[in-house]
Amino acid sequence: MEVLGIILAGVLVNNFVFMQYLGICPFLGVSKDFDMATGMSGAVIFVITVASTVTAALEQYVLKPLELEYLRTIVYILVIASFVQLVEIFMKKTLPGLYQALGIYLPLITTNCAVLGAAMLNVTKSYGVVLSTVSGFAGALGWSLAIIIFAGIRERWKLMDIPATLDGFPLALISTGLMSLAFLGFSGLFSNLVK
Amino acid sequence: MGDRLLVTPSPHVKSTKTVQGIMLDVVIALCPAAIAGTVLFGFRSALIILVSVASAVASEALYQKAVKRQVSINDFSAVITGLLLALTLPPHVPLWIPAIGAAFAIVLVKQVFGGLGNNFLNPALAARAFLLAAWPLHMTQDWVNPMTYDAATSATPLAGFNATGQTAFTLKQMLLGQRPGSIGETCILALLLGGLYLIVRDIIDYRIPLGYLGTLAIGTWIFGKPGAFFQGDPLGAIFLGGAFIGAFFMATDYVTSPVTPRGRLYMGIGCGLITLVIRLWGGYPEGVTYAILFMNLVTPLIDKYVVPRYYGSGHDKMARKGGR
Amino acid sequence: MKENRASLGYDFIKGFIKENPTFALAVGMCPTLAVTTCLVNGFWMGVAVIFVLTFSNVLISLLRKLIPDEIRIPVFIIMIATPVVIVELVMKAYLPEMYSILGIFVPLIVVNCIVFHRAEAFAYRNPVLNSAMDALGSGMAFTLNLMLIGGIREFLGTGQIAIGNVVFPKAPLFEPAAVMLTPPGGFITLGVLMALLNIVIARVGKRKQA
Repeated sequence: MEVLGIILAGVLVNNFVFMQYLGICPFLGVSKDFDMATGMSGAVIFVITVASTVTAALEQYVLKPLELEYLRTIVYILVIASFVQLVEIFMKKTLPGLYQALGIYLPLITTNCAVLGAAMLNVTKSYGVVLSTVSGFAGALGWSLAIIIFAGIRERWKLMDIPATLDGFPLALISTGLMSLAFLGFSGLFSNLVK
Repeated sequence: MGDRLLVTPSPHVKSTKTVQGIMLDVVIALCPAAIAGTVLFGFRSALIILVSVASAVASEALYQKAVKRQVSINDFSAVITGLLLALTLPPHVPLWIPAIGAAFAIVLVKQVFGGLGNNFLNPALAARAFLLAAWPLHMTQDWVNPMTYDAATSATPLAGFNATGQTAFTLKQMLLGQRPGSIGETCILALLLGGLYLIVRDIIDYRIPLGYLGTLAIGTWIFGKPGAFFQGDPLGAIFLGGAFIGAFFMATDYVTSPVTPRGRLYMGIGCGLITLVIRLWGGYPEGVTYAILFMNLVTPLIDKYVVPRYYGSGHDKMARKGGR
Repeated sequence: MKENRASLGYDFIKGFIKENPTFALAVGMCPTLAVTTCLVNGFWMGVAVIFVLTFSNVLISLLRKLIPDEIRIPVFIIMIATPVVIVELVMKAYLPEMYSILGIFVPLIVVNCIVFHRAEAFAYRNPVLNSAMDALGSGMAFTLNLMLIGGIREFLGTGQIAIGNVVFPKAPLFEPAAVMLTPPGGFITLGVLMALLNIVIARVGKRKQA
């Protein structure tokens, strides 16, 4: 049940974009094109899930025993950056098909604050390795839901007469605000389950 | 300009309907509910409706003047937004609430995106969600008892209904709207009259209200009674609360609902499911606003993936089955 | 490249308007939205970013000839993460309350696009003093942006603006709109500010043409 609660929280109740302000820059930037949004979603789900596992394991088996928690930020970001690099090299060699689909998004992910943010949230909630993985996966799923919905909306704008002076960031931000207004309805959902 | 409202996939069927004519029909269909609300909750309701409509029309005209676009208030769409917003407000809210809400709906939900046809949320509902988040006390406590016009001390009957699965209101009271609630949501008969008028005039698709209310009724019948299955009250679920006005007048908004028949059915079912989940297991007593807004958000995805079968493709399938 | 003293003033000033991190470059959006529920939070977040930005810009500029192009990104990350850890420890010790309010957004300065952007676009190619001025300009502009957005949201959302024990006005003049303190309020405030700015820029551009 705790797992179910974490997934609901990640996808709907505490959505990364609409409630936690995580991963806003790529959300605003990559949502212009629907196929790019879905590609980015795949890459983000993969990287955040694995990064959550790895950083949680590091926290539990290295940083805590050695009392090096104050170096957390530096260790985490290095691990994430090198992990993304590794995935890129590995994918290029062994899964060229997937690399072609996701490859161009990978370098962008290092600076997606949702990756480090997810890892940091796991620490504040003191989840173990398993729950951290679930939580990272759920958060990434929620981020993907958000960007795919928004990309669907923005795709329509191409056929519409959108005011040119406001197109781009102003309208993207106002839209995000309106979307998070709709997501407010999920707050308090299954409150005995979702924390 | 306004023709952009009718975005449909081909084949296009020519029709004599104009945007103005459609909007006027919607205004006519909303009149019974507005009159019933005024009778039930007093003169103040009429004042709220007036302020809301005036603010919506004024915002539209002022914004279009300011950005040097053609002023399009004569297409009645701003009137509808103002009217719909007012009908979803508690009858005792201060008058600046409809004024701010209608301006928000017109400027930030509709006009900044280029006006009618370009908004991705129903303006009236987005404004209601905004007001609920901004001034939650006014939006959840300013109720009035019907006919006596005194301030109601309790919450709307829906909160109790969600908790116990039953209500003390009789069917007649529910149909006539003799219960505390938002101005235009309580009188089911008036809403039904308006809704049927729109269906007969071919303005809205019956699939959305049917899918919405059907899903909500069946779902409440199954899960509505705490601790037991199949003992909930399906009529209470659709008569107490905003589901009726939402299903007929909000979820059916052309601009923010799917264009294909099947997509519209999904829209209705989705609204019903989310409303049910928020009512029974969510943080708010009522989920109609958020359910419709969420389905507005996924409408582009529904339109993208639920496409009508290609003309003649059924024949292909038959030919293949025929084993030629 | 020799120090270019003549452009020091420009390197400082450009961060406020032409290369304003929020309104012109649209970088660092997450903290810009997350910590701006009040003016004071915005101020402290800004101070933390000024420190990190100046530290990393100076360091990267000093070592810019020694950093090989191919591995510059990981090197940047370390040079940015170091001051972030310093900020974290100092804040935890001296401003524990503010540290817990800003939460994970203090360590997240490490992936703040502003810091990265200035390292890549300026410090890696320019002398030390210029890089320092660039960092101070961008950082201060960022701080002002956060204080502006935080101030607007705090005023509309609570009816007042509180700086320490000083509260202005003493009693709210209107019924505060709680939504301004929530995520929708944050997104919409920033969106409307950017929209107004775009409209003003478009008007000014037209007038110049005419």
